[in-house]
Amino acid sequence: MTAVLTNTVPVGYVGAPRLMRTLDADLTGHLAGHGTLPALSRDALLALLDAAPLAGRGGAGFPLATKIRALGRGEPIVVVNGAEGEPVSAKDRALLSRVPHLVLDGAQLLATAVGGRRVLVAVSDPGLLGPLKQALAERPDAGVRFELRTVPDRFVAGEARALVSALNGGSAVPPGRRVLPTDRGVDGRPTLLGNTETLAQLAVLARTGRAGFGSTGTPAEPGTTLLTVTGAVASPGVLEVPLGTPLGTVAQAVGAEPAQTVVVGGYHGAWLRPAPTLPISRAGLTAAGGTLGAGVLIFVGRQTCALAELTRVAHWLAGESAKQCGPCSFGLPALAAELARLTAGRAAKRELLRTANQLPGRGACAHPDGAVRFLRSGLALLTEEAQLHGAYGSCRRTDLGQLATTRTGWR
Amino acid sequence: MRLEIDWTRCAGHGLCAALLPQAIGRDDWGYPILDRARLDRLPAADLKRVVSCCPALALRLEKSRLEKPRPEKLRPEKPRSEKAPQPR
Repeated sequence: MTAVLTNTVPVGYVGAPRLMRTLDADLTGHLAGHGTLPALSRDALLALLDAAPLAGRGGAGFPLATKIRALGRGEPIVVVNGAEGEPVSAKDRALLSRVPHLVLDGAQLLATAVGGRRVLVAVSDPGLLGPLKQALAERPDAGVRFELRTVPDRFVAGEARALVSALNGGSAVPPGRRVLPTDRGVDGRPTLLGNTETLAQLAVLARTGRAGFGSTGTPAEPGTTLLTVTGAVASPGVLEVPLGTPLGTVAQAVGAEPAQTVVVGGYHGAWLRPAPTLPISRAGLTAAGGTLGAGVLIFVGRQTCALAELTRVAHWLAGESAKQCGPCSFGLPALAAELARLTAGRAAKRELLRTANQLPGRGACAHPDGAVRFLRSGLALLTEEAQLHGAYGSCRRTDLGQLATTRTGWR
Repeated sequence: MRLEIDWTRCAGHGLCAALLPQAIGRDDWGYPILDRARLDRLPAADLKRVVSCCPALALRLEKSRLEKPRPEKLRPEKPRSEKAPQPR
C-alpha cells in the first residue's frame, strides 16, 4: 500500500461554507456546527428530494430520488462510493478525511429511510481508513452497521457496477450484462450507491430543509458544489462554491493564470473557452458544451502545449481501459497514437475523427464514450495549435503537465 | 426483440457480420457495428440464428431495452411506507 497524503488536501470556499463548515472536527464539534441529524421516513425523504432535487455528485448527475424509487424488494444495502478514480479529483477524499461525520450522517439517514441496516464505505485511498475508523468509533449505535472496504485505485473502479463487482469479491470492472445495482447489487441485494459528496449534501439538506438549502445556488440547482481546481493556478485545492458561481470568481479564488482553455468535468469531460461569466452549474456547463461531472476544473495556461497535454491524457485514457471490450481496448490506443502523430504534424484530423466515431456506445461501460467526448472537444477547441503543429510539427511550447495523469499526494 | 452484444465476450470473430451483412458491419478491428434500423426490419428467425451462431456466445436477444431506462418507469411506485421495512 502506498502512503497517500490525504490530510494535506487544501480546502477553501467561495461564500459561506456548508459541507466544509466543521473541518477536522470530532463528533461533538460536528454536531455543534450542524445540529443533530433528523431521522426521515422514506416518504419524508422522497418529498424532500422532490422539493430540492439532489443530483448525484459522482459524475453522471443521476437524481438520488430516482435511485431510491428504483430499489427492488428486500433489505437494501447502502454504499458510500469513495472510489475516486479521476486522478485530479480530490473532493471525495477531502470530505472523508476532513468532514467524515457529515458523509456518515448522510449514509445513515439514507439507510434508515429505506430500511437498510448495512452501509459499506468503499474507498480507493487506504489513507482514508484511519480518519474513518476514528470517526466511526466516536459515533453512537444508530442501528446501522458501517463496514470499511478498500477497492483498487483505477479510473473505472468508481463506476457503480464495477464497484459492486469489486465489493462482491470480483475484479473492479463493469460486467458485460447490464444489471442494475438497485435490483441486484452487493451480495445480490438491492443496493443504493451514493457518491461521497451526494451523501454529505444529503446530510446538510435533511437539516436545513428545502428553503434553507436553497438560500444559495440557483433556483434549479440549489446549494453548493465541490470543485477540485488545478492546473495553472497559484493555490490548487478543493473549493466549495454556490452552484452558479461564475468561472471568473473561481479563477480569482485560486489565483489562476490567464488561461487559454479550461477542462471541466475531468477526463470524461470537455474543453471550454475560459469565459469569466461561465456559470459553474450543471445547466450552465452543459449549455456551454461541457459537463460538471465530478467537479474537476483544470485551468490550462498559455505557456503549455495543450495539444501535447491532450495527447498524454489520451494515452492515459487508453491505459485505463479495463481491456474487456474490443472497441475500447483497440480503439483508444489507436486514437492516442493518431493524436501523437497529429501533434508531431504527421497526420490529419479527419482520420482521427473517423477512428473516434467508431467507439461510442460500444462497450460494457461508458469509458470509450467519455474518453472520445473529451478528446473530440479538445481537438475542436485546439484548432490553432493543431494548425501550428501541422505546419511546423510544434507550437514551440512543451507539455507542462497541467493535466495531471498521476496522483502524487493528491495532485 | 432487440439484439444486444456483451462486449466483454465478443472477440470479433465476425460470423454475425457474415450472416447478416445487410445489417451488421465491422469496425477497423473486426468488431460488429449494428445498424439498428435495418436489424429492426429483419425477421426474428434471422436474429435468433445469428445469436445461436456466435462462437463467443456474446449475442443475445432482449425483449425490451433495459440499459438506459427511465427508471421512474422501471417499476410502479409501491406503497411501501405504510408497512414497516420488511425484516429479513
